[in-house]
Amino acid sequence: MSAILEFRNVGFSHGARNIFDNLSFSVEHGETVALVGPNGIGKTTLLKLAAGLLQPSSGEILVRGQELERWGRRQLSCAVALVPQYLEVPFAFRVEEIVAQGRVPHLGFFGGLTRADHDAVESAMEAVDILGMRKRVLSELSGGERQRVKIAIGLAQQARLMLLDEPTQHLDLGRQIELMDLLRKLVERGITIVAAVHDLALVREHCSSAILLTPHAPALRGPVQELLRADLLERAFCVARPSLERYLATETFPPRGGEPIAPPDPESKADDAGSQRRKNEPQEHRERLWRKDELLRCRGCRRYSRRPRSWHNWDND
Amino acid sequence: MVPAILLLLAIIVSAGMGAVRLSFGEVLAALLHPSAAGDAGVILFTLRLPRVLAAGLVGAGLSATGVLFQGLFRNPLADPFILGASGGAALGGAIAVFLFPSLSFAGFGAIELLAFGGSLLAMAIVWSLAKSGGHFAMENMLLAGFAVGTMLNAATAALALRQEESNPGLRILTAWLHGEVTVPSWMQLSFVAVIELVALVFALPLARQLNTLALSEEYAAQLGVRVKRLQILVVLTGSVLTALAVSLGGLIGFVGLLVPHFLRLIFGPDHFRLLPSAALSGAVFLIIADTIARTAFAPSEIPVGLLTAFLGGPAFLYLLNHRQRSSSL
Repeated sequence: MSAILEFRNVGFSHGARNIFDNLSFSVEHGETVALVGPNGIGKTTLLKLAAGLLQPSSGEILVRGQELERWGRRQLSCAVALVPQYLEVPFAFRVEEIVAQGRVPHLGFFGGLTRADHDAVESAMEAVDILGMRKRVLSELSGGERQRVKIAIGLAQQARLMLLDEPTQHLDLGRQIELMDLLRKLVERGITIVAAVHDLALVREHCSSAILLTPHAPALRGPVQELLRADLLERAFCVARPSLERYLATETFPPRGGEPIAPPDPESKADDAGSQRRKNEPQEHRERLWRKDELLRCRGCRRYSRRPRSWHNWDND
Repeated sequence: MVPAILLLLAIIVSAGMGAVRLSFGEVLAALLHPSAAGDAGVILFTLRLPRVLAAGLVGAGLSATGVLFQGLFRNPLADPFILGASGGAALGGAIAVFLFPSLSFAGFGAIELLAFGGSLLAMAIVWSLAKSGGHFAMENMLLAGFAVGTMLNAATAALALRQEESNPGLRILTAWLHGEVTVPSWMQLSFVAVIELVALVFALPLARQLNTLALSEEYAAQLGVRVKRLQILVVLTGSVLTALAVSLGGLIGFVGLLVPHFLRLIFGPDHFRLLPSAALSGAVFLIIADTIARTAFAPSEIPVGLLTAFLGGPAFLYLLNHRQRSSSL
């Protein structure tokens, strides 16, 4: 197997803010990779970098072994399809006209659709099962139908690598499952998928591996089972260990084979006791206003607290 | 095809209307045998036809610019008048009329050139004000267009106030501010016609890319469209068309809003089909409107800009309300 997408020591900063710094990973042909991490960590940025919409400030990105700068813009659009989070069209274009836009990188100078282009549009619409709504206007479609239209655009592009930005957002359970099944079908057709997904149950069910982005820590790349562990997720999402373990233990994320996903952490007990104590504290003490310099600030979620908690990324640890 | 036939009919019928009424046959005969036409020919070739063709060029330019700017801003409310581009062109033209009446550059009239500059400047200001966080907010676009347009029109009016009563430019300027189609020379007419045609042909491939831009800037970039370049070319082309329209007809509002809107209901939103049909239908629309403006209250004329404002204002309000409710057209 060879890598279809590779990040080598990629750095990217937006204004003064450093979003990535020395990010390296690779995605092999035929994989389904979940991109997991908290809001604002740069999942969308990472996908835009991979699609060539943003330029890294350092390092290099390779698609099919070739640096992005050496790809022509239209050539790259035929190889990599980005499926952005939102699709809002201000005019009353029909679904088939919107899907046909996926052919734009393939068109000649005069921009007319050939027979092959029409066939590609048809088969893209067929693959995501939207042939029945081809004459409808986007604003009439439900969230799940809209997602399928977006994926059809990517299919019409005939790109082998598809980058999806939160494809399951705002979808109900049934539509989420349908969408993930659709992605599985795409993988069977030989398409490699990198998708930013928040729902860990979907990640575990449908993705072969994952990239976990954690604030101020190197990104982790590996099989889903190894990455979605409480000790890693705790820091990535800045969430209290007991709450996290309760979440991971419920039916949303049942442990397989009866094994606990991670050994219980002695710290979490101590913290439970701490919260008990806090409840018994006198009222005036709790209502005191704290100055910011008295508090600790988490580098991950940027919340302030006066007591260091293990699951946050405190500046002074 | 249908709009093209309508355009020919509109030109012939409209050329016959006026104080001296000429029948369809008379106009046609005069057009086919200009030398044998006599008095009718004089009226037709020195007064009527230049005015009718000027109205057609103004309507075509404004409607086509409407289509281009609507695609650019991804908003069916965009129009050269509403965005302040017409105001910029009028100010540029006014500066040319009063300050550099004899200036010309490589055959281009100073009026058209400075009008282009003014239109471009107005668009650049509105553009930078309207664009926030990578997309155009509708409120920003309308507010920026309103503010810039009002300032530029005030500047034009102030410029007119400083001139002496006898200045011949004052007459031109008053006509511009009211939105009155003037009777141009054949020289000016053919100059405008050639440049406008070139701009329209140049805009056709841009219109196709505007369809991709309709998905979003990010989507268009992802599909291989050079978004920045496209936006700059559309602003340039739109500014040329606006400048030409304003140099003949002044501040005529809402044509670029009305015509594309009704064509969208018929032909759908495809900019590539919309652009030529909007240019032809815009020409027909303004020829009819201008004919009404100059004949309905004969012997006095009303500026055609007033008429389009009466028609376009309510349409604008309807669109605004409609968009607020459903967020898409």
